[in-house]
Amino acid sequence: MTKFNVGDRVTVRDATSMFHTRTQMYVRGRTGVVVSHRPEWVIPEDEAWGRENGRKEPFYVVRFRQTDLWPSYAGSDVDTLETEESERWLMPAGKEEGQ
Amino acid sequence: MSAIAADVEARRVLALRPEPAERLDSPYTISKDLYTALRHVLHDVGGQPDTPVLYTDPKELDWEMRTYVTCECLAWRGHWNAEERRRRENDLGATQYFGLPYYARWATVAAKMLVDKGLVTPDELSAKLDEVRSRRDGS
Repeated sequence: MTKFNVGDRVTVRDATSMFHTRTQMYVRGRTGVVVSHRPEWVIPEDEAWGRENGRKEPFYVVRFRQTDLWPSYAGSDVDTLETEESERWLMPAGKEEGQ
Repeated sequence: MSAIAADVEARRVLALRPEPAERLDSPYTISKDLYTALRHVLHDVGGQPDTPVLYTDPKELDWEMRTYVTCECLAWRGHWNAEERRRRENDLGATQYFGLPYYARWATVAAKMLVDKGLVTPDELSAKLDEVRSRRDGS
């Protein structure tokens, strides 16, 4: 069961990371579009500590416009970047953190 | 610009890579911003300022492939996984993370994992290294 559908606009949470994470600093607080689902897998925050039976979550490929990621981006407006995030790192776009 | 001139230029630019400006030597106090920066996961380098790096594509060496296969076999036997390996690489700290060759980083964290999990002792590792050294040196 996935919380987000392909085409949904999502914002990456800017949660505090203690120690290991795969959620890049440059996507935090940025909004992109879900472009595909990835199979459920153990979240990196558990797997990194050898907890291979840790929390499993759906992963999403999220596409960002480069101009949304880098304020001084010098390339084309149509350039995009895709990355994968587990469900806990995403929230519906337009919803402020903490609401 | 000829290929050789471009190569020389790229090396010159590479040599201009900025040195870290802030000297850290176990300060008595630090700011919250510095604490946040210090906690940053090392492998997350996207967006950090840098200068062009020459692209090279050297052939993998035997020791590198043996390191790779050893690490995969340790995963196959359930001792760790790729994510734990990456976390352990980050935990080496910036000096070793960026100072060691890629597969030397793997070998280092594999050895530390084996010690952490009680599969080998530091003494056994040291003794084995001495054995290999004396075999290599023929003494």
